[in-house]
Amino acid sequence: MIATTLSLIVIATLASGLALALIQARRWRAGRPAAVDVMAGLRALPRRYLVDVHAVVARDRFNSRFHALTAGGFLASLPLIVLLGVPALRHWTVWGLLSLALAAMLAGGLMVGWRRRVKQPAELSGGRFSRLPFALLAYATAFLVVALDQAAGGVLPSWLALALVLVGAWGCAELVLGVWKGPLKHAVHGALHLVAHPRPSRFHDGAGRDSALKPLDLEAQHLGAERPVDFAWNRLLGFDACVQCGRCETACPAYAAGLPLNPKKLIQDLVTGLESGATDLSYAGHGHPGRPIGTAHGGPAEPVIGGLIHPDTLWACTTCRACVQECPMMIEHVDAVIDLRRFQTLELGATPGKAAGVLDELRATDNPGGRPLSRRVDWAVDLDLPVLAEVRECDVLLWLGDGAFELRTQRSLRALVQLLRRAGVDFAVLGAEELDCGDVARRLGDEATFQDLARRNVTTLRRYRFNHIVTADPHALHTLRNEYKPFGLDAPVIHHTAFLLDLLRDGRLEAVSQAAGGVTYHDPCYLGRYNGEIDAPRALLDAIGVTRVEMERSGMRSSCCGGGGGAPLTDVAGERRIPDVRMDHARATGAAIVAVACPNCALMLEGVVGPRPIVAEIAELVLAATESVR
Amino acid sequence: MSPVEALLRPLKIKHLTIRNRVMSTSHAPSYGSDGKPKERYQLYHAEKAKGGIGLTMFGGSSSVALDSPAAPWNQISVADDSVVPFFQEFADRVHAHGAALMIQLTHMGRRTKWDTENWLPTMSASPKREPASRTIPKEMEDTDIRRIVADYAAAARRCKEGGLDGFELSAAHGHLIDQFWSPSVNKRTDKYGGSLENRMRFGIEVFEACREAVGDDYVIGIRMSGDELIDDGLTHEDCVTIARTYAERGLIDFANILGGQARDHLAHAIILPNMSFPVAPFLYLPSAIKREVDIPVFHAQRVTDLNTAGRAVAEGHVDMVAMTRAHIADPHLVRKLMEGRMDDIRQCVGAGYCIDRIYAGGDALCIQNAATGRERTMPHVIPKAAERKRVVVVGGGPGGLEAARVCAERGHSVVLFERNAATGGQISIAAKATWREALTGITRWLTQQATKLGADLRLGVEATPAMIEAEKPDVVILATGGHPSHGDVKGAELAATTWDMLTGAVEPADNILLYDGTGQHHASSCAEFLAKRGALVEIATADRMIAEEVGATNQPIHLRELYKLGVVMSPNLQLTEIYREGNKLVAVLRNEFTHEEEERLVDQVVVEFGTLPNEGLFLDLKERSANRGEMDLRALVEGRPQPHRGNGHAALYRIGDGVAGRNIHAAIYDAARLCKDL
Repeated sequence: MIATTLSLIVIATLASGLALALIQARRWRAGRPAAVDVMAGLRALPRRYLVDVHAVVARDRFNSRFHALTAGGFLASLPLIVLLGVPALRHWTVWGLLSLALAAMLAGGLMVGWRRRVKQPAELSGGRFSRLPFALLAYATAFLVVALDQAAGGVLPSWLALALVLVGAWGCAELVLGVWKGPLKHAVHGALHLVAHPRPSRFHDGAGRDSALKPLDLEAQHLGAERPVDFAWNRLLGFDACVQCGRCETACPAYAAGLPLNPKKLIQDLVTGLESGATDLSYAGHGHPGRPIGTAHGGPAEPVIGGLIHPDTLWACTTCRACVQECPMMIEHVDAVIDLRRFQTLELGATPGKAAGVLDELRATDNPGGRPLSRRVDWAVDLDLPVLAEVRECDVLLWLGDGAFELRTQRSLRALVQLLRRAGVDFAVLGAEELDCGDVARRLGDEATFQDLARRNVTTLRRYRFNHIVTADPHALHTLRNEYKPFGLDAPVIHHTAFLLDLLRDGRLEAVSQAAGGVTYHDPCYLGRYNGEIDAPRALLDAIGVTRVEMERSGMRSSCCGGGGGAPLTDVAGERRIPDVRMDHARATGAAIVAVACPNCALMLEGVVGPRPIVAEIAELVLAATESVR
Repeated sequence: MSPVEALLRPLKIKHLTIRNRVMSTSHAPSYGSDGKPKERYQLYHAEKAKGGIGLTMFGGSSSVALDSPAAPWNQISVADDSVVPFFQEFADRVHAHGAALMIQLTHMGRRTKWDTENWLPTMSASPKREPASRTIPKEMEDTDIRRIVADYAAAARRCKEGGLDGFELSAAHGHLIDQFWSPSVNKRTDKYGGSLENRMRFGIEVFEACREAVGDDYVIGIRMSGDELIDDGLTHEDCVTIARTYAERGLIDFANILGGQARDHLAHAIILPNMSFPVAPFLYLPSAIKREVDIPVFHAQRVTDLNTAGRAVAEGHVDMVAMTRAHIADPHLVRKLMEGRMDDIRQCVGAGYCIDRIYAGGDALCIQNAATGRERTMPHVIPKAAERKRVVVVGGGPGGLEAARVCAERGHSVVLFERNAATGGQISIAAKATWREALTGITRWLTQQATKLGADLRLGVEATPAMIEAEKPDVVILATGGHPSHGDVKGAELAATTWDMLTGAVEPADNILLYDGTGQHHASSCAEFLAKRGALVEIATADRMIAEEVGATNQPIHLRELYKLGVVMSPNLQLTEIYREGNKLVAVLRNEFTHEEEERLVDQVVVEFGTLPNEGLFLDLKERSANRGEMDLRALVEGRPQPHRGNGHAALYRIGDGVAGRNIHAAIYDAARLCKDL
């Protein structure tokens, strides 16, 4: 009798949940079509969950344990309870197994309760999620007592057993029906998102990393995403998988500096937009700093920017991918930002701040500063750089980047050139033939200018013979290495830190003197998270014998300097500047020097006023270390 | 883009690409030896090249002919081929650091001495006496013109053979070419005199001959005034016409423009503007000429900071900015700009110490940078010491601060005690005297550098032996400076000192006799200060003139100001006695030549007799030190570390006016020379 009731309750709840999920699916199925290999996704699902998702979740051991206990216990309990509907199976061992599953779930539920009700991490959303521990505990405790009782032969008075079943049933309903708008929505959508992910090669069964933006078809009727339905359906599915854990919020450099961007809220805004006439009144997490909650409103076919998301929120993003790196639901926040920016820039011309002027300069002069391209090598008159147009071929093509127009970057480029000379590297530059790589244009949504620059740069590069491209600019590195492929460039692109490391290891450079004072290395986003290169710069610093200390946020989880994604141009105001926040991290290490490996990082961090560590580009440190003591 | 970044754009002149827009003009630091630019001269310019300069020009007034002697100011003679190997060595040294190297060639005409070197009469367009050199030249004949034109051409060829990147001909400061141009000198009636066209002829013949000697693919420039700023000289319109004519004929590839001339005393002070002038006072002249010619225009004249220089280029006034004295103060100026270290630039304060020494027959030295011109022995970039020492410096004047700075650069741990609430020492007092204010730049920079390098400056703390020993120093450097001497005249105690007046310790009375016993800036600038406060001032000295020890670019400013302020100047009088009469003082002055005595009845007598060392602390510490306070002078001069080693006691040295009253440069050189080897 009890077993039948339990079984029926679960079956009924699951059926209702399925129905709700199917209705819910209409929201994300309204998105644009996307080419998805569903079968491959299904096959890869279990291991994507166990390997890729787990790798993210397990960064916090406590979270991964309670998740394994609650989810594992709950998922195990459901089929067991259904099985108990068959009279022949109502053996005490099955009740015992169910008890074990529920006990595990109870333990997990207590951990969830402690986290949500006692510890209460600031980044967690409240709302429906606040009830989650009660639902977990109600289900696990009530059914556990019932199961133990049944295993023991049923000694409880029937009114009590019935009462317990009702409590457990509420918990079950609360959990399963939460696929509608509750916590369990993430389970269904998360699983489906893993199956139909827009970047399947980011998983371990693919390349393991996929950070390049995909080319936009510029002939399309409607460029970029204006409305929620302009996103591909599997992207909407991804947004809907958000569990509001707030890991992105904690990682976001814009949020930390009080700029009006909270990636969690951004995704939730897009989720809000999946329903007509919805507002963000029910959102129970932190908002976009400085912006009120309750005023965002929209619908699937209404423009996102304006009613739902303020333009400042969109343009505050530095595209650093810290949110993507942290998201256990594998949501691609940066792709969403770029899709939205593409519409703003290409269809509306609404690029804010100095960005519009820079895009104009890029279109007119092929560099963001509007300077004659021949002046890219002005700083190197006395270094007499070989130009590829004259030497025709070389081993290393040194891609200078637009930093070559900047005083600060010229200093590190001079150091790099001196090192290449010292090591006897056969190198050349493109000189006036080098155009901006298009990174800034692309991140600002100007895909047309990016594609134009990419095509012309690729045409130039294919005219010459060289073995590899070396650059000190991670933005150029990422663009040339990963985003020029669709335009026909297939040359190895090496960051100068990796190249210099090889020169040292091959004995072509020799470190002879040591820098005084500790050095802390700041990972550039486009080298670290975008390209996974966090070891070579560190090995290089170790090779020149500096004392290296790590900031609290480093490597793949490093924090952005604020210089990416055109953010210095859109210049959205916050409570602080992003580089000031990052410099605080550096100061906390007590290091005398912050080593940087990106021209943007050097500019942003060197712009921090007040007492602070010296900002040195790695090449400068290597040059000093390979120079004999005067 | 900041205007300073405009300085880092290359400049192309014909085949030559100069890496940036910052240069140093040809000048005569008196480093030449036997008429050749040897090691000292070459290292001085190589340091600028190392420091990132685009173009460095050497050899101000290098002579092309036998009757333009190179001997005055130890200049360079390009009058024969023996100089060529030195040019080659020089060019290699500078090119190795990526800079371009050029020279100035000239025939000085009447602006030189006949009683030196070859004892030949001086030459000019007309036999008019030149006030500055005091020579009366011979009027040039056609044979002289032919010979000297050929001499110019031969010298031009030697520049090219020597691997120099080019040269300029001087037609400024009253040299032979502009002697022909100027109606005040050229009274000829032949084809070289009369109309401006005729007066330009000699110069054109010189340039044509030079061009023929070196070809079109060699850079030739001109140094000339944009306005002589005198009634009977070349007007601005004349100068524009000359520059345009020479440029249009393809004779010159750049015009290096300055303002003024150098015929008389005040003209010297104006053409080489000191700290009493605003920054870049004559920038309007090259700017105007640039609008008339299609060749690059260069300019020098008190452009002491990169922001001014950057604006001059960015706003299109000039193509290249010469920062000659700025490089004497800091030859690494451009490198520091490139490295984002503009705050580390030791900026020229315009004291004119470098140039004034030349006119007094010395070599060019910087008032604040002891390494300039001493590159063989003194480093511009202080290397780290092998061993970290604890150094205590007492005194925050220029000597003590330089000691703290150099020791901190060496990596030592430095504590500096200064009894006043602020650093600066005597410079703070000197700077109170009207236009001498910019002197504070010297100690401001030193203080900033010492602080930045981690020296612990304890201000408002009078050091005692116990406090010093508590720091457990390895080395103690006393830069305790001096106190003003009252002299040993009878009744000296009745006199106030220039310090009393400048610091405000004594209020100026109505009627003051100021006696100058040193002939330096102190008394003159104090007289200006007192007169500006409303006092009637007479300044007396035993010297032949007031401020006799002050050089040619500063003394005229002092004299001009004293005259303007109505200060009575009484040279040739020795102060012999001061006595009280009622509530007034009587100063007894004795004529140096007649020995007759005069008396002045005044409210106040102020004296300047220099300083005597503050040596109390030294004497207290002497017996407790490892070396009894003795400096090993041979080691000091030969650039070796002082031999003294602890055995539990610190080595003790004293520097600057704490040893004997001298000047700012002496204090800084004392400090840098000692500390670079500590």
